[in-house]
Amino acid sequence: MAVRTIEVRERVMAKNDELAASVRERLQSAEIAAFNLVSSPGSGKTTLLERTLDTLGEELGVAVITGDVQTQNDADRIAKHTTRLVQAVVTGGACHLDARQISTALDALDLDETRLLFIENVGNLVCPASWSLGEEAKIVVFSVTEGEDKPLKYPKMFRESRYAILNKIDLLPHVPFDVDRALGYARDVNPDLQFFLTSALTGDGLDPWFAFLRSRILSGNPA
Amino acid sequence: MHEMSIAHEVCRITEEHVGADQLTHVVEVGLEVGDQAGVEVANLEFCLEILLSSPPFGHGRPAITRLAGDDLRLSYVEIDDGSPDD
Repeated sequence: MAVRTIEVRERVMAKNDELAASVRERLQSAEIAAFNLVSSPGSGKTTLLERTLDTLGEELGVAVITGDVQTQNDADRIAKHTTRLVQAVVTGGACHLDARQISTALDALDLDETRLLFIENVGNLVCPASWSLGEEAKIVVFSVTEGEDKPLKYPKMFRESRYAILNKIDLLPHVPFDVDRALGYARDVNPDLQFFLTSALTGDGLDPWFAFLRSRILSGNPA
Repeated sequence: MHEMSIAHEVCRITEEHVGADQLTHVVEVGLEVGDQAGVEVANLEFCLEILLSSPPFGHGRPAITRLAGDDLRLSYVEIDDGSPDD
């Protein structure tokens, strides 16, 4: 047999990254700031979005795309806090969203009425780290009911994120969780991370989060 | 389990380079996987073993090289073009 070798030298994620670049260009030309919320399941992303929509939904023209392996439960919950269409992407087993799904979801959103877009990714601290969606930044959410060493166990996710939200701080009196140690581990992985300490349930710590979101919109062209 | 998504993408790129009518002749697909690429190599290898040995492929196999860094790259495809050895 004669074996012939074809040189390829192509990045496997190139197609997704190309689609992500086109999503990013579309969002930037519409002057929309887009954040990709990533976390393990149950960290409080949906509750955080509910509170954020209650306070800023109308003011900042917030739109949401949710991703879940099965069910539209998160989208249904969020829809009760906004008059806008919530785009639910059910991945049917896939553990992450990809740029093509976001591109399709954007087709159904009124971009002219949108200034801030949240993508609630599938709850998973591994796979979504590898897929760019055209977002301005990833925001990793973790909670005090998880271990302090989440950043060390899932370094790629914390390295790929520009912001980190430590949620469920209302439970700190009841759980053995060392905040300084957790933030230290996160900084070890990514020294540039900017933190928010919140309880999406009680509202504690949300004012700095809201101020940050307002500043991203008022700054005009998100970096 | 995004390794299966990645494996499908590897197959798509392979088809792009060799053509749909040559997929049964693919014998090896070479990949470079960085240790920071966020990929479980054994899992990816398993997914590729299944896909490359099932239609529209024939009897292909993956050859994975581990590297430092976060690169994830399809480096080459070997095909048996059916012609006799020189």
